Amino acid sequence: MPRISPRLVREALWHSRLLPPLLRANPEIAMAKQELRWIKNELPRDQWRDAITRRSKLEPLQYILGTQPFGELDIECRPGVLIPRWETEEWVTKLSNLVASRCPKKNIHIVDACTGSGCVPLLLNHQLNGQSDISSQIVGFDISLEAFNLANHNLARIDNSTPNVKFKQLNLFSESLVQELAVDEVDILVSNPPYIPKEDFYSSMYMNGVEKSVRLYEPALALIGENEFYEALLAQLILPMKIKAFVFELGYQLQVDFVKTFLEGKGWEVGSMNDGSGKIRCVLGWRKEMDFMQKLAEEKSS
Amino acid sequence: MIPLVRLAGRSPCWIVWATKWTRPYSTVDVSGTLEKLASVPKIHPLLIQRAEVMQAEFKTIEAKVAEGNFEQELSIRFSNLSIILDNYNQYKSDMAAFDELKELISEEGQDHELVEEAVAEIEATIPQVQRSVQVLQSRLLPQQKYSDKPCILELRPGVGGSEAALFTEDLMQMYINFANTKRWKHHIVSRSEGNNGFVNEVIISIDDPGAFQALRHESGVHRVQRIPLTESKGRIHTSTAAVVVLPKISEGNESSLKEDERLFAPGEVRIDTMRAGGKGGQHVNTTDSAVRLVHIPTGITVMQQDERSQPRNKAKAFSILRARLAALEREKEIVEQRRMRTDQVTTTDRSDKIRTYNYPQNRVTDHRCGFSLHDLTGCMAGSKLEELMEKVEEHEFEQRLEELIAQERKA
Ligand SMILES: C[S@@+](CC[C@H](N)C(=O)[O-])C[C@H]1O[C@@H](n2cnc3c(N)ncnc32)[C@H](O)[C@@H]1O
Repeated sequence: MPRISPRLVREALWHSRLLPPLLRANPEIAMAKQELRWIKNELPRDQWRDAITRRSKLEPLQYILGTQPFGELDIECRPGVLIPRWETEEWVTKLSNLVASRCPKKNIHIVDACTGSGCVPLLLNHQLNGQSDISSQIVGFDISLEAFNLANHNLARIDNSTPNVKFKQLNLFSESLVQELAVDEVDILVSNPPYIPKEDFYSSMYMNGVEKSVRLYEPALALIGENEFYEALLAQLILPMKIKAFVFELGYQLQVDFVKTFLEGKGWEVGSMNDGSGKIRCVLGWRKEMDFMQKLAEEKSS
Repeated sequence: MIPLVRLAGRSPCWIVWATKWTRPYSTVDVSGTLEKLASVPKIHPLLIQRAEVMQAEFKTIEAKVAEGNFEQELSIRFSNLSIILDNYNQYKSDMAAFDELKELISEEGQDHELVEEAVAEIEATIPQVQRSVQVLQSRLLPQQKYSDKPCILELRPGVGGSEAALFTEDLMQMYINFANTKRWKHHIVSRSEGNNGFVNEVIISIDDPGAFQALRHESGVHRVQRIPLTESKGRIHTSTAAVVVLPKISEGNESSLKEDERLFAPGEVRIDTMRAGGKGGQHVNTTDSAVRLVHIPTGITVMQQDERSQPRNKAKAFSILRARLAALEREKEIVEQRRMRTDQVTTTDRSDKIRTYNYPQNRVTDHRCGFSLHDLTGCMAGSKLEELMEKVEEHEFEQRLEELIAQERKA
């Protein structure tokens, strides 16, 4: 833990007695104040102290407050399941806007592999159904029972009136994945699979690694992974099910290159996109009939 | 004196008196009444012209409505015009009646009883006519831009350090109190503090469609004179806070965001997200939802960070950006119109103090109209602010009229 200067602590104390512990999670006082405000806004007074203690031990604020905003939705968060990230929110919003305005097919089937809290299917459903002439059927699956339960819980909280979203507990690497998934047709496959290589998972933020709070509190099952996940997405789902378009989140150019190489000569266009802070964030691919997808790609090669 | 347009029918009272026109001689002193009559405000000829144009427009719309056209815009215009023209026709018949009564009482050798009745009639109707002339006048003056919009208030401390920051909060509370007395919905959009822990910006939204019209004259530097709580020697300090009133154009939520973003050309707005270093994505879970917009052509910068949701911060920022741009555009238009009218550009200096809040004297003085309200407490509680604002509004109204007159002289 970085040492906190006495001056900073004094400054924090001047603002509120509750503030100094939050400096451990937030080296900047402005951020600490912001978090204190959120804690005060969202939790009853008798929970503030406990919340601050937990946060000072680097527990993610989202587990403490219990939610993370995701587009117009509030997704419930629980330890054991990955917290939805703004980068994911960003590409999912872009994708749904594009599909709503450009997709030639009006009844569209989407699968979200490694769905975690269910945030991706729920936001897609929220954006697509009702706001456009598109109707969508979305299935999300995850290997983790905790994730499966939370996704269903989020579905019930947000919108259990429509049968448009379903969750299943499945292993992406299962030999009989296609049968277990039991959907006839898929137009778009999306996924935010674990993409942090082991060595980065155990190194510090300054060395391409992860935040301590991530390492200490979020499930390694949701985070550690390399090309094997992209390979499985392509070989287990895209090719056998003849899916026509995909968007996969990732964190490294090498992962983009892997997907490109894998699909070379198979009649696919593949591109990539950056996130709002300019970092490589997604690989996407489409077959000719879905070429509206290229709008999302900043750079592509076939 | 303005040219009169006589109504088809004569005024009813005249007919009554005409039949009574039997007895000789009047000895009633009518000079006071004549004076009062002369003091009844007349609608400016330019505004009469406007009314005549409206009359013509009303006829065409009336015809369309008669043919069964019930488009919403048309019906709204129709009912708006009919209200104004009702006022206008009332005005015309009032003036015609006054003219004839005036003729009657100033004529030599008039019947005594008749003159007395006419005088009584005039005296009784003058206040009513005065009021309706005012109403008509304000309806005929060109509509101010954004007069049907809610508003965004931005408050920032000026000179005076922490005392200025405290005063900024007092002003914010005053506007919230005012909104409460009007039963207007309002909310704090964002609030930020400097490193010293004092507020350096508060943005509030007042969500009533009439809020911009009501509050637009609050823009400017507000000055406070009082003994700060921290002042041990009991000296009076002077500090200031700046208030900016903007027309609220967009809601500032996720649904308005899409439209707001579409309105700008690609590259016109730079969107900065304040992300911590590192790789982002799965590697990081800190909430870093702050958004900064930079409008490249004008350099306007808006920063929002109060929400945990980045799109929500972005939506708020876009809403504020649009409000600031609308205000900028409105200012330009006003300057341009003035230039066209008077050849000279007189803009109010942004650093001009518009109002002083003097606590020891329990007094608020508005420097634009020179009016002092001797109830600072009531003003800060929101209940007396309107009285002050009405005085400013009157003053501004007169100025606008004068400008119209100046324009007419030029033409
Ligand atoms: C990075 S998280 C993404 C969660 C969610 N989609 C999101 O964006 O917040 C990856 C998810 O993949 C799941 N997962 C890991 N291995 C899996 C496997 N073999 N089959 C299916 N899901 C798996 C994890 O349980 C975790 O929920």
